[in-house]
Amino acid sequence: MQEEKCIDHQWEMVNVKYGFIITEKCFHCDKIATYFSDKERPPMEEYREGDHFWNVVESAQTVQFDLKCSNCGHIEECSDLMGLMMCTGCDEKCEVDVLMKKLEPERTWVYVAFGFLPGEEQRQLSKEKIAILENYFNRRRKSSRSRIKLVSNEMVTSYATCYAEVIRDLDLLSLTPPGNE
Amino acid sequence: MKLKEIIEKVDLKILTNEEERDVDGVFISDMLSDVMTSAKPGNLWLTVQTHTNIVSAANLVDLSAVVITQGKEVPKSTIELANRYHVIILSTSMQTFELAAKLIGIGLQA
Repeated sequence: MQEEKCIDHQWEMVNVKYGFIITEKCFHCDKIATYFSDKERPPMEEYREGDHFWNVVESAQTVQFDLKCSNCGHIEECSDLMGLMMCTGCDEKCEVDVLMKKLEPERTWVYVAFGFLPGEEQRQLSKEKIAILENYFNRRRKSSRSRIKLVSNEMVTSYATCYAEVIRDLDLLSLTPPGNE
Repeated sequence: MKLKEIIEKVDLKILTNEEERDVDGVFISDMLSDVMTSAKPGNLWLTVQTHTNIVSAANLVDLSAVVITQGKEVPKSTIELANRYHVIILSTSMQTFELAAKLIGIGLQA
């Protein structure tokens, strides 16, 4: 089979969907949850789900995609990727920051690949998926002056002291994402 | 085309440390998600966004530089981050459309 013979996937971005990352908080237990919505208008109403009383905290425009190998046609779904965050070196005790300082002289920039929250209830990115995403973004780079290193959000020591932000479009809800007309 | 040549020909202001770069095309958008999906490596990115996340997006897809148009002020935090990650940020008081026309005039294409 063609897919088994492909040992060096040539990834390209496909199935691009524009939508919103919705962040909700339960005012009963303070639990935070995130999910992707491709509805034209993001849901803003509070609602009850069992013992949870969910309120929307943030709604940011973003994009979901899959990766397809142009050699064998294999598609790697990436719907479990919430977003990518570049480490900004704000907490020297954080494992991500430690790694970033180690790789910085080589001009290798560390990005954290986030899955959706809560982490214990949602499918998180596997090491294999993270490696595939890293491979894709590095192949996409034209120059060899720098590289990307992707790590799991499990490496982030404390979100409370992390000042970096996931790449997403905030406060631009007046713009219509392409293809969502 | 060399970035230095573009800077001189259309009179862009350099806000960060400068490095030699080859520019391959121009990308215009104010959406970071657009940059992630559609910008090509080596592109010169024109935007009015000045948030630190433009450094993150530009770095992710290996853009040659970012030009902030319409005279938008770039926060010090963005410039500091850009210098750390070798992202070049330029600025101009020109509207994006005007700058795009000038870039076409000197031979740059999408």
